Parts: sequence; C-alpha cells; structure tokens
Amino acid sequence: MSNPVLLLLQDVLEEPQLIDWEWIRENFTEDIVPAFQGHIFLSFVSVAIALVIALPIGVISARYRKVYPPVTAVTGVLYSIPSLALFAILISIPGVKIGPSPVIIALVAYSLLILIRNTVAGIDSVPPETIDAARGMGLTNRQILFRVELPLALPIIVAGVRIATVTIIGIATIGAYINGGGLGALIFDGINRQFPTMIITGAVLATALAITADLLLLGLERYLRPWARRT
Amino acid sequence: MIEFRQVSKTYPGSDNPVVNDLSFEVLEGEICVLVGPSGCGKTTTMRMVNRLIEITEGQILIDGEPNSDLSSTQLRRKIGYAIQQIGLFPHRTIADNIGTVPNLLGWDKGRIKDRVNELLGLVGLSPDEYRDRYPAELSGGQQQRVGVARALAADPPIMLMDEPFGAVDPITRERLQDEFLRIQEDIKKTIVFVTHDIDEAIKMGDKIAILKQGGVLAQYDTPENILSRPDSEFVSSFVGADRVLKRLSLTRVAEMDLEPANGGTGRLPHISEGVTVKDALSELIGSGHTRAVVEQEGEDRLLTFEAIEALTGGASSGGEISA
Repeated sequence: MSNPVLLLLQDVLEEPQLIDWEWIRENFTEDIVPAFQGHIFLSFVSVAIALVIALPIGVISARYRKVYPPVTAVTGVLYSIPSLALFAILISIPGVKIGPSPVIIALVAYSLLILIRNTVAGIDSVPPETIDAARGMGLTNRQILFRVELPLALPIIVAGVRIATVTIIGIATIGAYINGGGLGALIFDGINRQFPTMIITGAVLATALAITADLLLLGLERYLRPWARRT
Repeated sequence: MIEFRQVSKTYPGSDNPVVNDLSFEVLEGEICVLVGPSGCGKTTTMRMVNRLIEITEGQILIDGEPNSDLSSTQLRRKIGYAIQQIGLFPHRTIADNIGTVPNLLGWDKGRIKDRVNELLGLVGLSPDEYRDRYPAELSGGQQQRVGVARALAADPPIMLMDEPFGAVDPITRERLQDEFLRIQEDIKKTIVFVTHDIDEAIKMGDKIAILKQGGVLAQYDTPENILSRPDSEFVSSFVGADRVLKRLSLTRVAEMDLEPANGGTGRLPHISEGVTVKDALSELIGSGHTRAVVEQEGEDRLLTFEAIEALTGGASSGGEISA
C-alpha cells in the first residue's frame, strides 16, 4: 500500500472528517489565495496567447481552404496527447525548465484546435449574400474581414473561448506536477500529505473558477450579438 | 450611359462562353431589364458592369470611359447595388446599413444622418421608427426597401438591381415595383435590372434585353416593340402566347382615344380610367356587354372592343396570333 491515493482513502475511511476549517483559516492568505491567483494567471494567459495564434490561422484557414485540413490535423494531434505525457515531454526538451512556462505552452497547445475551429466556423456562418452585397458596394477585402466577417463571427469565436477556457482551467491543475503552480499544487500536496481538506479546497475552487469564467464569457457572447438579443 | 461593346465572358477551363459577344447601350435615365431563362447569363452580364465578374473580351463603357479605368472598389462605390437576397448586414442597424457607402466615401456624420432619414422617407419607412432597428426585426418587404435605399445612398448615377423585389410575396412585390417606378420618375437613374419574369420586365423596363442560352442577345428593344414585333421564335415563345394582352397592360384606359358616348349609357358598365387596358378588357368581357362607359376629362366616353383592337394594331397582330 505505497500508493498515496489509496493511503488517503484508508485515512478518510478511518476518520471521516473531510474539511478542516481550522486549516483553511490559517492558510487562507498564505497558500489558498496565491494558488487561486496562480491558476487564474495560468489559464487566462494561456487562452490569451492561444487566441492570438488561433485567430490569424483561423482566418487564413477560412480563406484558403487547402490550409485547413493540415491545420486541424496538427492541432488535433496536439489536442489528443494526454496532458501528463505532454508536460513530461515538454520538460525533457533542453532549455525548458520546470515551472509555469511549459505549463502555459501545453495549455496553449490544447486550446488551439477549439479556437481555430470556431474561428473558421464563425467566418463560414456569415451569409454569402452579405459578403456579395459588401463587395458590390465597394468594401475592400480588408474592410469585409474587419467590418463584416469578424464582427459576425465574434459570438462563435467567443463560444470557442468559453469551451477552451473551461477545458484549460481543468487541465491546468495537472500543471502542478511540473511545478506550474495554481490550484493543482493544493491538490497534489493534499494527496501526498493524505489531507483531504487541501484536495477539496483545490477542486472546489477550480470548479468555481471554471463556472464563473463560463458564465462571464456567456454574458460576453450575448453582449456581442445585440442584433439577435432583441428578436 | 452604359455601353456594352462585344462583351464576352468565358470561364477558365470551359469552351462555352456564358456571355457571348454582347453589344447594346443603356441610355441615361433608362431602366434596361435583362431577362431570359436561367443560365442565359443575365446576372453575369450585370455583374460585369461593376466588375464583380471580370470581362474576358470586349469592353463596358460608362459615360464613354472603360469601367476598367478605376480600381474595382472605387468603381463599385459609384454604382448602386441591390440584390434579391438583399444581404443587409445583420449586425448593423438600418441606419448603419444605409449609410455604408457614404461612410466609405468619408461623408461627415451629420450629412449621412440626413441622407439616411431622407432615403427612409423615400422608401416609405418612418425614420424615427426604423433607423435604430436591426434587419432581423423587419419584414421581408421592409428589408427589400432598405436594400434599395442602401443602393441609392450615395446618389450613384447608375444602379444594378438583381431581382430586387424577388424575395417577397406577389402583392408586396407589385407594390414595391410601383413605388420604385414612382421614385425613378424623380431620380432618373440609369439602371440595369435583372429578372427572370417577363411580366416584371415589361412593367419595369424602358428597354428589354432578352438573352438566350449561352449569353446571346436575342432582342433588345422597348417592351412595346418586343411584344408587337418579336424577331424570333425564341422571343415570341419567351414573351408568351398572351403577348397581345401583355401589350394592353402597358397602356392605361386614360391614355386611350375614345369616342364620346352621346347619351344612352344607362345600362352599360362603368370602368375607371386608371386601370390598364388589359384589366378593362377583362372587366368588359366579364360584364357580358360589348361596350362600357369611361369618364375621361369629365365626359362620358365609350370603351369598345374596336377601340381596344385599334390599340394592338388590329389585323396584323391578330394574324400573328392565329399563325
């Protein structure tokens, strides 16, 4: 019985006290708040970087259709690598140190597929007659992209950001395995110390963060679609 | 003025042109309707004017200048564009939609606002009520009005209209046609108008260009001449066996030269002078009489079959029908 998870399970069964409020009070500012902030940092920096990469690739894929299959193939493979393995592969690359950077790289890699797909889907959703009218009135290709296609695609792009963010907040907990910080640190520590309070605190906060981010982005999605709100 | 000079369009990898050696002139202030069966290249012909489709051979001159002189975007901003599917920007308000081209041309905000209000009034939509709505909040007919207003926004001398009233029910369609003809009387645009509907072509066109398969011009003339003197089997079958009746729909009873009634009209049916001769003929036949009374210039006059027959050129066109 050397597996810490099994040891923990045994402990919990022997002494069923899941939440030690005393511990939470004592470690709130020193451990819990920094872990929560670290988690927000990891998730949002990753999604932001991923968006900066995915938007132009998505626009190019929507325009030049031949590019799209290879793009989905590569990002699809990235998306399917088990996260723990991806972290391990990344830190074995010379020059990559353990800590937040490889975690962010991995999280960006996971977001790309969803974000690129939604960007393409968003641009595809623009009615062809709207583009034809725009072109017929003398808008340039750039004006059509920025004034017509992207604004109309934006709600679908934001829907992709929602899915990516929720996914990333979950996967980011595993980043603590390579010292990435965040709420995963609480969970891993809790497992090692056979202390369920830490695990539950980490899990509850990660879930709450994911739900909050999801709702905020849903609000943004609605806000960006004023023309659909009134009908 | 728009002049097509031996214009052809062949797509790469195809031997058959979709538009073949087209030459005709659209005079200033006239509506030229391109009509024909599907696949006759009428939309392609229209789209070559603002270079949404590039010409393979020949030239299109606008006021004597080839339309390839300007950049395609500059050219398009000077030509109004309205299409059947309308293509309003769903994320922009009605005012923003109508203001698209003025905005591209750099008009200041006050001028754009005034113009938008003016155009909404022109197409019969109250500016206060509709300015700030989104397209999805409007009915199909209202959206087509906005589409036409948007095409007119920067007061372009030329308009391209591809079945602009095609996406609404027949009653709304007729009303939009009438309204547009009324507007055209004031604005006198040079218009290339595409439709597949010969009745719409006859109603809207100052000139009609009938195209057949392969983008060949079958006949280019006024509606009156096309109906009275179709110059090929194709044209006469395209305009239909009822072309004499169609001609009667071009004239209103008010425009007819009728004999005074001189009393004795008590039992005869009365027909309004505002209706077309075709509708008057229908009423006359339906009434079971051979004559009807029309009030012209405050005087009772007689509408007879003979008077209607005289309008169609009598025997000559009668002969063609039986042939």
